[in-house]
Parts: sequence; C-alpha cells; structure tokens
Amino acid sequence: MKFRELWKLSSTVYKEISFQSIFSLRVGSALPQRGKSDVKRLVKNAGVSTLISKLITTFFIAIFGFTVFLPMTNLVHPSPASPSRDIVLMGSVSAFLAVVMFLIVFMGLQVSTAFVSSKIADILGAMPLSKNEVSNIIFLCFLRMFDIPLVTGVAVFLAAYFWVGGSILGGLLALVAVAISEIFALGLTISSAKFFYSRVAAGGGRSKWQTFTRVVFMIVWILPTFGAYIVINFAGNIVQSFASITQSLTSILQVLVLVFPFSYGFLVSYATFFKTSDYTLILFSAGSSIVYAFLALLSFRWVTRTVRTIGGGGVITRFREIVKDTWIRPQIPWVGIIRKDLRIASRVPAFASLFLLPAMQTIILALSFSSFTDLGLNVTLGTLTGISLITLLLPPTLLSMEGLASAYTRSLPMKKRTLISAKTLLSVATYLISLVVLLFVAVILNRSLSLILIYGGIHGLAISAGIMLELTLLTRKFWKEGFAVGNIYSRLTSYILILIPGFIVAMAPIMSIIAVSYLSTSLALSTFMFLVFAFSEFVTMTAVVALQK
Amino acid sequence: MDTTAVRVQELSISYGTFVAVENLSFRVRNGEIYGLLGPNGAGKTSTIKVLVGVLTPRSGEVEIYGTPISDEVASKSQVGYVPEEVVLMDSLTPREFFEFISSIRRLEPSTANSRLERFVSAFELKQYFDTPIAALSMGNKQKVAIVAALLHDPKLLILDEPLVGLDARSSRILKELITFHAKKGGAVIFSTHIMEVAEKLCTRVSIINRGKIVGEGTVDELRKLVKDAEGSLEDIFLKVTEQEAGMQDLIKALEEEA
Repeated sequence: MKFRELWKLSSTVYKEISFQSIFSLRVGSALPQRGKSDVKRLVKNAGVSTLISKLITTFFIAIFGFTVFLPMTNLVHPSPASPSRDIVLMGSVSAFLAVVMFLIVFMGLQVSTAFVSSKIADILGAMPLSKNEVSNIIFLCFLRMFDIPLVTGVAVFLAAYFWVGGSILGGLLALVAVAISEIFALGLTISSAKFFYSRVAAGGGRSKWQTFTRVVFMIVWILPTFGAYIVINFAGNIVQSFASITQSLTSILQVLVLVFPFSYGFLVSYATFFKTSDYTLILFSAGSSIVYAFLALLSFRWVTRTVRTIGGGGVITRFREIVKDTWIRPQIPWVGIIRKDLRIASRVPAFASLFLLPAMQTIILALSFSSFTDLGLNVTLGTLTGISLITLLLPPTLLSMEGLASAYTRSLPMKKRTLISAKTLLSVATYLISLVVLLFVAVILNRSLSLILIYGGIHGLAISAGIMLELTLLTRKFWKEGFAVGNIYSRLTSYILILIPGFIVAMAPIMSIIAVSYLSTSLALSTFMFLVFAFSEFVTMTAVVALQK
Repeated sequence: MDTTAVRVQELSISYGTFVAVENLSFRVRNGEIYGLLGPNGAGKTSTIKVLVGVLTPRSGEVEIYGTPISDEVASKSQVGYVPEEVVLMDSLTPREFFEFISSIRRLEPSTANSRLERFVSAFELKQYFDTPIAALSMGNKQKVAIVAALLHDPKLLILDEPLVGLDARSSRILKELITFHAKKGGAVIFSTHIMEVAEKLCTRVSIINRGKIVGEGTVDELRKLVKDAEGSLEDIFLKVTEQEAGMQDLIKALEEEA
C-alpha cells in the first residue's frame, strides 16, 4: 500500500481516537440518541476540540519560544552587573528544550492515554491489511496526534534563535537539540500513558494502600501541568536567575553541561559566540550531547516499536487480585454520589485536576500578592475574587461526571436536590482547601491571617450560593440529557451563560464592600454588609435547592 | 384489585423530525413476562428508554404501578433495568458500582449484601469484584448490569436484550430468575431478537414494526392472527413484520451466488 493511502487511513483512526478522548467514551459515557445531525455535530466538535488542544500547545510553545529569548535582547547594551550573553543564551536554549518537552508530554497525555487504551487492532485487524501496514497506520496515527506542536517546536526555536543573532553552526546544533527534545517528549508521553493506563486507570484494588498510591500517581500526573504553567509565566525571570546563579558559581556549570538539556544549551551557546576558552567544558558538553543523541535514537526506536505493539495488541492491565469478600457499604444518596465522584477522580486525570486546580491557582495568586507587605482588605478581597472565580468553574465539570454512563444512571431514582447538594459540598470543600492553602502561604510569608479567615469564611457562603445557582441552572437544562460532557462543552454559549450568574452571586458581597467604602470608612460596617449579602444569598439558594424534586 | 404494572397509552417518540414510535399503547400485568419484539430500528429500545426515564417522549401517557413517569423518583424506584448497550461507570470496580447504586436506592446494608452475595455467586462475578469495569469482558459487564438491576428487588424488571454476551450458564440462570420473578407476582418487560427464547419465556408478546404494534397477545393468539396454526413465533414475526415475502427468493439468490 502506498504511503498516501496509509496516511489517509491513519486519519480515520486518528479521528476515532480523538472522538474517544474528547468524549471520554472509554470511560463509559453514551451519546444521546438524537437526530443524525446532533451526532454529526458531536463528531465535528471532537475534531475541532482536538485541533484546539493542539493549537493551544502550539500557542504556548510559540509564546514561550520568544519569551525565553527575551533576556538576550536586554543584553544589547549590557550593564556591568548583567550576566554574560553566552550564559543567558545557554539558559534560554535549555529552558526552551525543557519546556517543549514538558508541554508536549502533558498536553498530549489525554489523547495518548486514549490511544493506549483503544483497541485499534480490533478495527484494523479485520481489514485486508498486512501486519506491517497495520503497524505503519498505527504509527502514522500516533504522529498525527503531535504533528502541529512538533513542527512548531522546531520552527519557533530556530526562528527565535536566529532572531537573537544565532550562527549557522549554532542553528544546526539547535535543530538537533530540539529534535532530540521532541523524541524524548514522545518517549515520555507514551511511557507515561502506558503506565497510567495499566496501573492507574485500569487498576482496581480495594485496600487503602492501593487507593493511596492511586491518589499519589494522580497528583504526580497533574502537578507538572501546573509546573509548566508556572515556568511559562515566569520564563524570563527563570532564565535570568539561572544565568546569574551559573555565572556566580562556575563549578555548577561543569556539572550542568553533563545534563540534558544544558549540554545542548552550552553547545549551541558556544557555537554562537565561541567565547569560552575552557576546553574541558566544551569536551564535556560535546561528549554528553553525543550520548543524548544516542539515547534519543534508542528512544525513537523504542517509541516506534511500542506504538506499533500498543496498536497491535493493546496494553495489558495489571493482574486481578484475589477477592476475599463481596461486602458493600451503602451510604445515604449524597454521600454515595460524593464517594463515587472521588473514586472516578482518582482514576481520570481530567477530573482529578479539577480538585487541584483551585488550590494550585491559590498558590499562584498568593505568590503574586506576596509582594504586598501588608495583607490588607484590598489584597484579601482580590485574592478571594481570584479563588472564587476558579472555584466556580468546578461545578459544571463536576456535574458532567454524571454524563459517564448516563444511559444507565438516568434510570436511577435520583433527586435533583440530592445531586446538587452532593456536587455543592464537593465544590465548597475544594474552596475550603484553597482557603487553607492561602492561610498556609500567609503563615509562611508571615502575614496577618485575620482578614483571610473572616472574609474567606464569610465569602464561603456566597460561593456556596453561586455554586448552587450554577448547579440548579445546569440540572434544569441538562437533567434530561444526562449531563454528557460533550453536551456542556459543545454548547459554549450555554456554559458561559451558566457561569455568569454564579460569578455575579459570588461577587455581590465583594461589590457591596466597595460600595460601602464610598459611604463610610468603617471596617465593621463593611464586614456587616459583606455578611448580610453572603448570608442572604446562601439562605435563598439553599431554599431554591430544597425545592428541587 | 388493579393488577396493571405498566400502562402505556398513545406513546409517541421522535428524534428531531424522525418519528421512532407512534401512538403505541399496551399494558403489562403483574405475573407477566411481556416480550417486546421487532426488527432493528423498530422502536423497542426507544419505548424501553421512555419506561425507565432515560428518554422523554413527544406525547403519550406512561404509568408504572399507577405512578406517572413524570414522578421520576417514585416510578424509577420500582424498576430494575438492564440497558441494551452496557455503558456502566467503567473506571469504577463492580464493588464500587454496586455501592453507588445501593446508596442511590437507599438500600439497607444487610439487605443489599445478602442479595448481592447470592447474585454474585450465581453469575460467578466474585473474582472480578475489585477489577475496574473497563477491564471486564462484555459478558461480565452485562452480568454487572443484571445484578445492579436485581439488587433492590424491583417489582418491575425491564430487560433490553439481556442475553447478549452471556454464557450458556448465566443465560440459563437469568431466564430462571425472570420466570421466578413473574411467578412471585412481579412483572417483566423483555426485549429480544431470539424468537425461540421469547416463545419459551414470554407470557405475551408484542411485535413492533416501524414504531407501531402490529401484533400483540400470546403465541397462540398471534397464530390465529396470521392464520398459521403450526407456525413458530419466528414465522409469525416474519409474517406480521412483512419480512417473509420475497425472503425465500432472496435466500435462493444468495445460495446460488455462494
């Protein structure tokens, strides 16, 4: 079969995998059986969502690619205190290579997990194709998942390098370096996805230890995503700090040039400026770069082999354990829903990240506000606004969990108010965790806790009301449709229209303080107004939820 | 005393402009195993989905033990349902799934566990109890769905092609359970494409074609309807769904081609 035909066939398989990953069909949801046009729209949305996901990665790579080289442009007229250009370039190149690797790995994880868990061979195996053709289609399909980010990585890196005045030799080395980084990224992605699927997603187990390890795996799984986010936010600062530290401690450099991506960072920098006279460093970095190139070659071979094996027979999940009893512990309905949600979240990264997102965002917000010496009312309210906006993103996705297996669970005698109460409690618990994180950061930064405690606590009532409002609107709109994930996200306007009232309710008490501050400077009056607004909203929404059947 | 378990009156279901079911009416009484038969796309599953509250009809009335299906919690509490396509919460294990189901149905731990133990042993599910549903075979997923449907001892069982994927032993056990449930006074609505099973198991059957009931009654009553005293349910089915005409010629043509 010609390459063109194989490429075309791989497109069909790729579309199916995208569809599965976007709509979580692997975890048991069902498409609403409606008209043909609806299903067609969902399929189209799946394709668009996958493309958007690729474009977001590409966008991050492009932005980061140029941001990371910005410190170089500041050195056109260097001050005596500035670090030398070769060290800064080494930092920029190394940071870019590391971040490209991280971004490709973590942004591609969801789709590669779907790839690992899908039984492509079941579809292709029955067709009149040779084993070699099937394996080629599978490999091409895997490449399709990363095509745009991979190409962008190379293009942006080279463009940014020549933008800051790179040499031809340096450009060639940069090309090799970024290719190696991308090969390592593909290797890491597929091995992580394989490990995740076989040990976490498809791994059962009842003991507390197994549950604990699953949660740890999940946290490890999610944290680097936030790490990449922080790195991108502070790219320039990181490169600058790296350059300053390396310059002041030259002994570090001798170790760093042995480590990827610094080995290539140093080599590219040397090929650009030919500045250092320390031949040991050149020798070390060249030697280690050759070793990494060899490792990349091995990694590439492993990736091609593994991808083909996965497609050919799927990943074997862990062995079943011996079951001692079949005892179950039924709870009251809302506890049952919470327990089910937490169990799903411990196995599905998309949901697990939801619970960590507000706490992580709180750390970022707290760090942003750390420059303020006094944690006064304005800073407290600003931070609380940030936390509440992030927390209020949680309920719609939390409710979309009900879309998993909705074709079955909708037949259960579940009351709307039970569902809303359970999801509200989970969302509020996430807010409270964020508040605890904020308090912890305040203690570390040696700031006053009283305002965070008082306002954060009271604001919890308004956030609960906002959450209940969102959930009430969502259940009214999607109850009959079973909350399928695709239903909520494919209707972006409805989604946004549901978020806005929630935001308004959560922000109303804060707005009341701002309004009162124009009339009086009394903190007691402001606090009283804040409490009155938050409490009234909470009572009203609790009554509305109680009336839901 | 009213023995009606299910009353369906003038039920119509549509997907956009496509009408799947039109003016369908039938009753199922206590102690009955009511078979819903029909060719693919006839409207059986759509009808069943309305009965269990998964699908909203365009019009019509449906009552489960006198409770309209609009009273969702009350009507759903009386039903045990096995869907045609087993889509369970794949990331949960059967144990976790049963815990969720029994929590929503507010089952007492002792009652739930004693019933669960019996069913798990009957369907040989114990060894898979802590394995994620995603890792189970289709047959074992089907068994999980069956056990979940039976767990709360429902008055009405609605089973949409429940034998698909089951091994001979489990299939036999399920058929016995269905018969026993009806003998106890419960009602069963059972959809299948296997005519022999329907003929042996069902008290009454209803044949749906293109969204309408084209024949309803016991097998004997249907024989009278098609004026075929000896015919099997399959023969009757093919006649009333107008699929028999030309079928012999088609088979002959296929034979010749082969």
